[in-house]
Amino acid sequence: MTESVDLENARNLVKCLEENDQEGADMYMAELTKARESNLFIEVGKLTRELHEALSNFQLDTRISDLAAQDIPDAKDRLKYVIETTEDAANKTMDAVEKSLPMADNIGLGASNLKTDWDKLMNKQMQPAEFRVLCQDMKSYLDDTKNSAHTLHTLLTEVLMAQGYQDLTGQVIRRVIQMVQDVEESLVTMIRMFGSMNDYDDAKDKTKIEDGVEGPIVNKEKRDDVVNSQDDVDDLLSSLGF
Amino acid sequence: MKILVVDDFSTMRRIVKNLLRDLGFTNTQEADDGNTALPMLKSGGFDFLVTDWNMPGMQGIDLLKNVRADPELKSLPVLMVTAEAKREQIVEAAQAGVNGYIVKPFTAGTLKEKIDKIFERLEQ
Repeated sequence: MTESVDLENARNLVKCLEENDQEGADMYMAELTKARESNLFIEVGKLTRELHEALSNFQLDTRISDLAAQDIPDAKDRLKYVIETTEDAANKTMDAVEKSLPMADNIGLGASNLKTDWDKLMNKQMQPAEFRVLCQDMKSYLDDTKNSAHTLHTLLTEVLMAQGYQDLTGQVIRRVIQMVQDVEESLVTMIRMFGSMNDYDDAKDKTKIEDGVEGPIVNKEKRDDVVNSQDDVDDLLSSLGF
Repeated sequence: MKILVVDDFSTMRRIVKNLLRDLGFTNTQEADDGNTALPMLKSGGFDFLVTDWNMPGMQGIDLLKNVRADPELKSLPVLMVTAEAKREQIVEAAQAGVNGYIVKPFTAGTLKEKIDKIFERLEQ
């Protein structure tokens, strides 16, 4: 079809040239090149699309390689750091608390011992020898309490400083969340290119049900198979006859 | 009274031990999962078991079932202190014969209340 049209146009072109009809020759020449050009445009279009797809595939490939080779191991290190840092902070805090508790107990114990003697003095039931002991006890209690208050202050400052883990782990976790988001985006791109977006949308709407142990429930408000508080546990157990 | 505290996280064992000491229970030992805990229990002398559920190795629920299946240990009081909060899990623990169930995070008051309740019942 195109060939016969081409032939027709070529014959007309020769005819116009022989008759010195420049205007007609230009018109048939344009007809001939138009057919060539439209084929060329289709081919160039195809090539461009292929090139574009190859490029975006290539980008996706390197992004996925980076994620697998760098980002995910890096995220594991970061999360390990979170475990270590929170454990360290918990231990530092408990060290300080375990030192503080007996000190607080001793302050209370000393005060109640002194109070017994003091009441005796107030009721005028104290012998002079006992009073001298009371004075000594009072002095050492005041010394001890002063020292204990100082130590408690230091220990409480340690507890305060140990809470710095929240800032550090918060920053690290934020980076991991960003990485997880990148993985999600790469996966979605891959699904869009090679899989089915319908499957993806269906899966998105499904509620995931975990079997067996799963640790702390992080989305209690979205779940109806979990208890919300100790009161719920107690109610459930008493409904079972506990 | 000798108490065994089983949890895979040392910080949680330490918290529970501190709270128990405040309640007057100073004789406590620790294990990090059921596999470590069971032989300790079988070697005898423990009066009370406080266990987590989710642990590598043997989980708390299986430790409980093992305890109830052992003629020497079957009447040992068991308190579960765990983050597991699904209703079906609480029912499972109850059916396996748990004496008390505390969900993490918990308070010192809750621990005292549950322990008091367990011993109150045992005395009856």
